This record gives sequence, C-alpha cells and structure tokens, in this order.
Amino acid sequence: MRELLKKRILFFGGKGGVGKTTCASAMALAASREGKKVLLVSTDPAHSTSDIFEHPFDREEREVYPGITGIELDADYEARRYVDNVKGQIASLFSPAILKEAERQIELAATMPGVEEVALFDRMSDMIVGRLEEYDLIVFDTAPTGHTLRLLRMPELMASWIEALSKRRKALLSLNQDIDRVRLVRQSVEAPSDPILATLEQRKEKLEQVRIRLMQHNFTGFVLVMIPERLPIEESARASEMLRDANVNVCGILVNRILPDNLEGGFYQARRQQEQVYQDEIRRRFSGYPLTWIPQFETDVYGLKNLERISRHLMDGRVG
Amino acid sequence: MQFRESIGEFFYGMALAGYEKRLREQFMELNDLFMLLCFMELVGLPNPASLYLLEIYPYFLEEFHMWHRRMGMDRSPLGNMPCC
Repeated sequence: MRELLKKRILFFGGKGGVGKTTCASAMALAASREGKKVLLVSTDPAHSTSDIFEHPFDREEREVYPGITGIELDADYEARRYVDNVKGQIASLFSPAILKEAERQIELAATMPGVEEVALFDRMSDMIVGRLEEYDLIVFDTAPTGHTLRLLRMPELMASWIEALSKRRKALLSLNQDIDRVRLVRQSVEAPSDPILATLEQRKEKLEQVRIRLMQHNFTGFVLVMIPERLPIEESARASEMLRDANVNVCGILVNRILPDNLEGGFYQARRQQEQVYQDEIRRRFSGYPLTWIPQFETDVYGLKNLERISRHLMDGRVG
Repeated sequence: MQFRESIGEFFYGMALAGYEKRLREQFMELNDLFMLLCFMELVGLPNPASLYLLEIYPYFLEEFHMWHRRMGMDRSPLGNMPCC
C-alpha cells in the first residue's frame, strides 16, 4: 500500500488486540526507509510502542530510531501541561491579587472530569497544526475505536460550542454599544476590543484549522486494522461508516494475522476454512476500500527484525 | 450652561430613559446566559469546552461577582472565588 506514503497524517485504528500498534509502527518504519522524517504518536493509554521498538518512549518527542521520533501521550501530563501553560499566559495580564485567585480557580477546573481528554486532543491538535513543518508524516497509533472517533469528532463539537459562546459574546458587546449610543457617549461608540471575544475567536480558528486538515482527503487518512474474525469485522464495518459520516477518509484496511497456506492437521484446516469464509466476507463488505493482507508469523511481533517483516508486507504485500 | 444641561437631561429622560432601561435589562439577561454557558459545571451540566474556558476565567472575576448575586446566590458558589 504505497499509496499511504503520500499522506501527511495517518491514523491507525481498530478493535483492541488486532495489531494497531504493530501496524502503525511498521508504517513508521516503512516511511523512514523511504527517507521520510516520521513522528509516531501513541495515544492509547496502554502504550506498547516502546515494547515493539524495544526502546523507551517518552511523554515528549524523542528519537527512537533513525528517522523516527516517538512520543507516548499521557493524558494527566497533558492536562497539567495545559494548565501550566494557561497560567503562564495570564501571568502578565493581571494583578497579583487577581492572579492568585484565578490560579486557584484554574487548578480547581483542571480536576473536572473530561479535562484529560480535551487536553489530549489539544496536544494532538498542536501536532496536526504545528509539527508538519518538521515532519513529513505523522502516524497516530490510536486507542480502540470508540475513543478515537470521539477525538476525531472533537474539533467539530468544540468549534460549534465555542462558536455559540462567541456569538453570545458578540451580541452582548453590540448591546453594550447600543446603550452607550443612547447615552450619547460618543468616544466609546467604536467597538472596544474585548479580550474574552478575542480569546474565543483565536481558539475557534485553531479548531477550524484542525478540522480542515482532518477532513482533507489527500492529506489525512485513516487505516483500519482488523483480523479475519467476526467481532473485529463488525466493529470495523461500524467504524468505517462512522468515519465516512464524519467525512474522514478511510484510506486502507489491513487484515492482519492471515493463516499461512501450508499448514496441516485437522485443527488448522478447520480454522483456515472458517477464515476463508471471513476473507470472502471482508472482500464483499469492504469492497470500496484498498485491502492489504498480512500473514500470521511463526512468532509474535516485537523488536525491529519482525517489525521489518510487517513493514515489507504493508508496503508490497498481497492486496485486493 | 447648567440650565441647558438640565434641559438636555429632561428631554433625554422623557424620550430615551425607558429605552435605555430595557436595553440594560436585555444586556443583563444575555450576560447571564453567557455566564451560565461558561460556568455550566456549577449547576451540574457538562461543559465540553471547560478546559478551553480556563484561559478566559480571570477576565470574569469581576463580572462573576455581579452574576452570582443576580442569580440569587449570596455567596460565591465557588468556595474559593475572591468575592464573598
């Protein structure tokens, strides 16, 4: 699936345990072999990229292999980082008395449920908007499907929320202006710059940028990983539908752990027969998507040597 | 000069004071709605953007006081806000 190399952002998703991390890592490796600078981002709370590369990853970007920079996102850490960042931003704007109270308020708000998810999303947005000058390709190894779909929907959800707020704010400001006009206070008829509105608008603009990049089909792609079994097939079918609704391009489907042909014995024959049925079903149900088949190996996959094998299959393996 | 100003105030009162009052009321109402949307957690409603609102909270400190009084809360519902 050399087509994947043309994208700038790739998401790897699928049901738990089908080999998302392996495939995402193999993709990063393949791209780095083509001379690309790759950022491999693990967003799954249960990180396993460092186990696959047999090299420690960090909560910040660091090189894990020549040409590949890795990062394992940590939601708590991102929430902390975001809060500290906000504190830094307001430090220069307010008097110490207000600042002290404001900081306390911010600390309190940072413990609200759902904050981590938004902080995680915010970090991913920073990468999508800001890190593509440095890297040729960003590969996101995502958490199991539901979580990821929420993340992809986030820019839309947030943008409309902030849009509503900023609309209300604008209405307020213009009403305030009307009152001034009635009062004949001529000097302030010019709309004063409102810091709250400015902050909201800035936020909205960034969200919009992320949204546009995620939905740009030749820029961002989603790769669904599955194995030829009932539950992963069903989940992938649902995911592909939801992604299509969200206008995200599903640019490939990897069917992992295909049993080899040359096996003998009744058990294997039975398994293979069942798998054949599923393979046909996958071809039928995912006929609109590029399919690639990756065989099951004699050992489990970790370490660079095995990863290399997967990445070769990913690039030049059996398709269709 | 004083007389002219008084006359001005008189005609203003006759023609526009009621209008201004209504505008102010409307302003307060809209402001309440805006504040409610920003501080939804306080009344137990989920606010998807609460993290993004952190950066504008400090601007609210003053308005917040007026708001919680108007909402019938004598004391700040956030134990640790600077006001009452």
